[in-house]
Amino acid sequence: MRTFTREELARCNGRDGAPAYVAYRGTVYDVSKAFLWMGGRHQALHEAGMDLTEALDRDAPHGAEFLEPCPRVGRLLPG
Amino acid sequence: MAKVAIEMVKKAGVNLDQLVELLVKNASAELTTYYYYTILRVNLIGLEGEGIKEIAETARIEDRNHFEALVPRIYELGGELPGDMKAFHDISACPPAGLPKNPADVKAILEVLVGAERCAVRGYTQICNMTAGKDHRTYDLALAILNEEIEHESWFSEFLGEGPSGHFMRRGETSPFVGKFLR
Ligand code: HEM
Repeated sequence: MRTFTREELARCNGRDGAPAYVAYRGTVYDVSKAFLWMGGRHQALHEAGMDLTEALDRDAPHGAEFLEPCPRVGRLLPG
Repeated sequence: MAKVAIEMVKKAGVNLDQLVELLVKNASAELTTYYYYTILRVNLIGLEGEGIKEIAETARIEDRNHFEALVPRIYELGGELPGDMKAFHDISACPPAGLPKNPADVKAILEVLVGAERCAVRGYTQICNMTAGKDHRTYDLALAILNEEIEHESWFSEFLGEGPSGHFMRRGETSPFVGKFLR
């Protein structure tokens, strides 16, 4: 499986034709096809291209089940 | 725009831009849901569908009421609705509640209905969390809408066999919670 540094992930922010990827608990998901992630933004509060583990676990009004249908495209390298 | 009202909200530590964007997104979700529910409702036919048609209609009308109630608050806070209806559709806080592939499948329609209500419950919970103790008027409005969305979720989940909702369908006026924002 492909690995991502934080810098590589940051480029996948859903803007200017880039795909929209988000990391959660070390896995990188492709949310480009999700209606609620159009343009790499989610609910006015979150942006793609980032590790959103804390945001999902702490702030979101839902769990990780919504990431399940999104393709897993890689692993986020620690650090 | 309500200058001092905005000042109070900002001073309380609310991110005004995020809040207004969320209100616009949820206004879009309400109006688009009103539209999609129209299609779902007309397809609720036959022995099974007819029993759900009335309650889907109530949810449809109340969702439109939510749109009407949100709009004044958006403008009070300095926001606006997009001029382009297509753009408005695409920024919805919830995915489109489209008619299932088999429109005769009443259970599939119910799943769309309950899914839309659950999305709304999550969305208004978020707005309540952001505004509680800070932006009293938006909180009051979001809480009123949340009360109705939770009842809608309960109605549809009961039809799906998830257990008793503890609710009865509306008697009398629609929007018992949001009504005060519509007068
Ligand atoms: C406070 C922050 C957040 C809010 C208010 C929020 C809100 C929502 C809502 C209301 C939905 C629709 C749920 C439904 O249909 O019942 C949703 C879907 C979703 N959320 Fe979040 N969410 C937040 C944070 C996150 C984070 C951090 C992630 C990713 C790590 C995430 C990933 C998703 C995904 C993938 C979907 C499905 C989108 C689709 O199918 O179009 N959310 N979110």
